[in-house]
Amino acid sequence: MASSPSRSPLRPTEIFQRLRAQFGDDILATEEVHGHAVVNVRPGRYQELAAFLRDDPALDFDFFDFLTGVDYQPKGRGFEVVTHLYSNRRNHHVRLKVACEAENPRCPTLSGVWNGANWCERETAELFGIEFEGHPHLVKLVLPEQFEGHPLRKDFILMTREAKPWPGGVEGAEEEVAE
Amino acid sequence: MGLMDQVEMPQPVKFILNWGRRYSLWVMNFGLACCAIELIATSTSKHDFIRLGVIPFAHGPRQADLLVVAGTLTDKMAPALKRVYDQIPDPKYVISFGSCSNCGGPYWDSYSVTKGVDQIVPVDVYVPGCPPRPEALLHGIIKLQEKIGQEDIREKWSGKLTQPQPSSAY
Repeated sequence: MASSPSRSPLRPTEIFQRLRAQFGDDILATEEVHGHAVVNVRPGRYQELAAFLRDDPALDFDFFDFLTGVDYQPKGRGFEVVTHLYSNRRNHHVRLKVACEAENPRCPTLSGVWNGANWCERETAELFGIEFEGHPHLVKLVLPEQFEGHPLRKDFILMTREAKPWPGGVEGAEEEVAE
Repeated sequence: MGLMDQVEMPQPVKFILNWGRRYSLWVMNFGLACCAIELIATSTSKHDFIRLGVIPFAHGPRQADLLVVAGTLTDKMAPALKRVYDQIPDPKYVISFGSCSNCGGPYWDSYSVTKGVDQIVPVDVYVPGCPPRPEALLHGIIKLQEKIGQEDIREKWSGKLTQPQPSSAY
């Protein structure tokens, strides 16, 4: 049989080594979480990194799993876009994180690298108000067209809760008591 | 409707007409969430709402008499519900099945869920539960049939009852 390329998953440290060799200081931070590699990347090289993860034969990330946003507003860190990738052939995972500023958050699009990113980015754009630069069709996906605001932002006001406060415990209050 | 809405029917005629209508309810399945599973379970052999004269399932709203809204109605889905309701020919009845369609249920503070389908369509019977058991739907159907038995067909066909009448000013 002809020699086939290795199918064994890379360990997160091996993924970090490969990425650091290629991108150097544009890899801002790396972390291993639950056996998955987590990579913070500078926004300027985000698309390039994604294409590298897809095309490099040792990394071979052929499956775009999901993309979403995180709102860190109370902590003053703005937003973060989290992208999860998976390799079907090698069975390893990686998560990419890109920081966005709090005012007017922007992030490059991945829809040119994986088609699967298209709808995920539309959803993240409407729910978090993050603009994906270069996206071919950035209109609302799941919200009604006339909907105003970005409901998954922490400063989004739920009108029902204004009329009637949350009847149970407030999230985080129990932790404060424990401390 | 000709004669029907011009003259008051004698009581025996009313009784016969209501009796005929209450035991032939072709049901339109408007299943939106887990409640739809309970609705379908009620239609199958174990709970079997066919023995009450509820016939599953109308092939479209134009063949239906009864609309069961089972599940979480979102604001984006609401125009579709209104459209389905408008396509059902009179006389038509609506059962709101489950907490979500009654009042929003666990999504009472959601940004996207309609807090009660009675804002969109008039509801005849509310079945509480999350989700309600099939027995609860059978009970709701019996309550609806009692209501149909007491009904004045002139009022039903006047068109006044097809506007939404929210049960609560939320």
